[in-house]
Amino acid sequence: MADRTELLQGSLDLLILKTLALGPLHGWGISKRIRQLSHETFEVGQGSLYPALYRLEDRGWISATWGQSPEGRRTRSYTLTSLGKKQFAAERTQWRLFAAAVEQVLDAR
Amino acid sequence: MHVDHRWWSRGARRIRALLYGDQIDRELDEEIRLHVDLEAEELMRREHLAPDEARRRALVAFGGVTRYKEAHRDIRGWSWLEDLGKDVRYGLRGLLRAPAFSLSAVSILALGIGATATMFSAVNAVLLAHLPYAQSDELVRIYQQNSPTNRWAISTVDFQAVETLQRTFAAVGAISPRNMAVIAGGDPVQMPVGRVSSGLFRVLGVRMAAGRALTPDDDRVGAPPVLVLGRAMADHSLGGLEAVGRSVTIDGTAYTVVGVLPDSMIELAGVRSQLWPALQMPPPSRRGPFWLGLIARRAPGVSLDDARRDLAALSQQVFPAWSSGFQDSTARLTPYSLEHAVQGDAGTTLGIFSAAVLLVLLIAIANVVNLMLVRFTGRWREVVLRTTLGASRGRLIRMLVTESIVLTGAGGLSGILLGVLGLRLLGHIAPDLHGIAEARFGWSGAGFAGVVALLTGMAIAAYPVALVLRRERPATLRDGGRAVSAGKRTGTVRAMFVVAEFALALPLLAGAGLLLNSFLRLQRVNPGFDPTHMLTIAVRLPGARYQGDSAIAGYWATALPRIGEVAGVGSTGLGTALPPDDQNICCNNFDLVDRPVAPGGAQPTSPWADVDVGYFSALGIRLEEGRFLTPEDTAGAPPVAVVSRAWAQHYYPGEAAVGRQFVSGGCTTCPLTTIVGIVGNVKYQGLGGHAEAMYDPLAAGWPLAVNLFVRTNGPPRELIAGVRAALASVDPGVPLDDIAPMEDRLYASMADPRRLVALIGAFAGVALTLAAIGVFGMLSYTVNARRREIGVRMALGATQESVVGMIVSRGMLQAAIGIVLGLCLALAGTRALGSALYGVSASDPGTLAMVTTLLFGVAGVASWLAARRAAMVDPVEAIRAE
Repeated sequence: MADRTELLQGSLDLLILKTLALGPLHGWGISKRIRQLSHETFEVGQGSLYPALYRLEDRGWISATWGQSPEGRRTRSYTLTSLGKKQFAAERTQWRLFAAAVEQVLDAR
Repeated sequence: MHVDHRWWSRGARRIRALLYGDQIDRELDEEIRLHVDLEAEELMRREHLAPDEARRRALVAFGGVTRYKEAHRDIRGWSWLEDLGKDVRYGLRGLLRAPAFSLSAVSILALGIGATATMFSAVNAVLLAHLPYAQSDELVRIYQQNSPTNRWAISTVDFQAVETLQRTFAAVGAISPRNMAVIAGGDPVQMPVGRVSSGLFRVLGVRMAAGRALTPDDDRVGAPPVLVLGRAMADHSLGGLEAVGRSVTIDGTAYTVVGVLPDSMIELAGVRSQLWPALQMPPPSRRGPFWLGLIARRAPGVSLDDARRDLAALSQQVFPAWSSGFQDSTARLTPYSLEHAVQGDAGTTLGIFSAAVLLVLLIAIANVVNLMLVRFTGRWREVVLRTTLGASRGRLIRMLVTESIVLTGAGGLSGILLGVLGLRLLGHIAPDLHGIAEARFGWSGAGFAGVVALLTGMAIAAYPVALVLRRERPATLRDGGRAVSAGKRTGTVRAMFVVAEFALALPLLAGAGLLLNSFLRLQRVNPGFDPTHMLTIAVRLPGARYQGDSAIAGYWATALPRIGEVAGVGSTGLGTALPPDDQNICCNNFDLVDRPVAPGGAQPTSPWADVDVGYFSALGIRLEEGRFLTPEDTAGAPPVAVVSRAWAQHYYPGEAAVGRQFVSGGCTTCPLTTIVGIVGNVKYQGLGGHAEAMYDPLAAGWPLAVNLFVRTNGPPRELIAGVRAALASVDPGVPLDDIAPMEDRLYASMADPRRLVALIGAFAGVALTLAAIGVFGMLSYTVNARRREIGVRMALGATQESVVGMIVSRGMLQAAIGIVLGLCLALAGTRALGSALYGVSASDPGTLAMVTTLLFGVAGVASWLAARRAAMVDPVEAIRAE
């Protein structure tokens, strides 16, 4: 648990977009996948997951539909829209620039 | 493209969120449940937990469900609206829990807002509405004027001079309204008829609904008589638009209808009539008489001042040519905006009403603010509690504002209802206001009421909000635990509002007192004649059949004996003036032989009546000197006149007036008129008017229209049918619809002051009541808040009297400060009443003293009622209660 960390402000949106870029998922699935993909580093505070989902939906980057899970549960699953794909690409580029810049500053001697 | 689509779909989603908030909440619940279930299953699988424990852990991991929901709602974007709804519901609940407070606050506000909105609609309709003509600001009415206060109508000479010599007007027209005998299919009736020159239609730019307007050819003397008809009359008796070509008889002359006005034109240039015959003016033989209204349209780019200069130059040009008949060289043709001329002194009346209404509104607001403060202070604990529990100050303020708005909203809605009724009431109270009958409350009135309600709501909320803003949180916690009082400062502010209520109520009471005083004086005025047992009939003979003095004299020579034969009739008299309130009494100018006016100066004028020999005795007017008019005073005899006592005192103070001679009507070539008698004063121009009058013998020149006065032995109303039948037997073609007992006319002449007193009195009563409630409420509150202190004082030996005295003196101090301020306001404000007062000065010390005493008395009683409760405080209980 000690090596878990808080998400940086704004990075949650990017992570959600990334997980959905791999395929449609419901809310719990998104939080689980982020946990797995980050090797348990990021524990998405669920209290901020759903507001984030709603915010992304509101901006038209993802869309939500009610459907059936393989186990027969009624689930609300989220899909990346075409607008969301563009947004994801743009945010990824920006994030890389940002991360590289932070690295450079930290590595400076 | 994308942006648009996104904007649209986001908007649609937000609207859906607003409309289906509950459903979205349910979906959210389901999603959360799913999340927790899945998480719990995962925990059971991974960590082999028991289902209950797994579920608990899943819930903990999820975090505060409620907090999350709130955050979610905020993002949905309508949280403010949902909060507003909550606040309104909360406000309503709070108000319903305090019905006494809410009911009084709402009714006070409804009264204030309703009255204000009524006055707004009236002012809107009467003062701000434009005349229904194109570019109506270019229209002017032209008068003769020789001093800032003295203006009168114009003569044929003036009209013709303006028509030919003016250089500043696009068109000019003349109008001469009077009641005439009209036959349009049925019985003869007296109706207002507006005789107009063809130019008037060009001036006003009126379009016809059918037929044509009058043309200059119709104005020529000897042209076939034609007229334009109002739509209402055309529809009523002449087949609507088919009326063109039909005939209407006016004063015995048959006129052909050439055009019909549209529905909306119920008046032209402020004259209300349905009949507009062409006015054919015979060539003038002298400057007077002054009988025409002159209406003109300024040419484009010409200012009122340009027109005034043009007309002034023109007046000086006309004067010398006609100076033998009219010797006032100072008189100038003067243009006034037609809108102002039509409105008359409506501005004064509405101004008085508006001021009264505004004062009532301000007092109402002060009262409600006070009520709110008392309530707010009572809720201090609740406010403190809410702050402690984490309600933000913003939320608290919003709560206070919403409550005020709910309150004023209810007040505003009821105010709109009251306003609709009020406007109707005003139509009854002041029917003379031009356009009041057409005034509608409408959306503008409702909108105005809404704005007033909103502003009032803000005014009411302002102080409590300021309190919340000013207080730091720790401070609230400190006072909040114990004290009921929200501090000394609130107390001072409440006292200030009480002071303001008294200061505002005093001018209203002073105004009402002055009007009442003046009304009572007016009622005691001796009209100069005996109004009991008298019937008055306005008779107008049709001019076509009664041409010349002998024909008219012949009619009356037959009619008067026949009326005398009717059972119950005592005596009869004829006169051109109709006391006590004759709007149309004719004024003539005269020049005293022994006190001549310098050549070119303004000659004096006096109300002038032509009367028959029976007039003075029939009305019970006594002879004071000289003789009455006799049957020998005819057209051929040397001209004589009788004057009133007031006239004699004005022109011959302390000297004999009988035997003096004067030039009548500026006619220097006519024989001199001799004064042969002085009679008692009679009021012809309202009971408040002066009583100067001059009387000529009717026999020297019979007019078509005279008033018949019949002295009866019994109740005059019972003789109406008999007198009517007697007159109809002489000539059934004479209209006889204006018959009324003299006492009715006397009563009617008091109608305006009576209504003014009633209305302002009602406002003053409301103001007085509100002020009394204000001081009572404030002191009751003080007594409650200081219960403990009072208990201590009484325990230490203070008597009940001294406690009551302490409270009462506090109330009286505030009332006194308010009254002193109010007196200053009143002295500045009541001057506006000036013209509405009779026999009382606007700063009448007696009235002001009476009003001051009354206010003090009311303040004293209200304070005592509140203080009595202080005396009943049981010291032991009061101290223990804390």
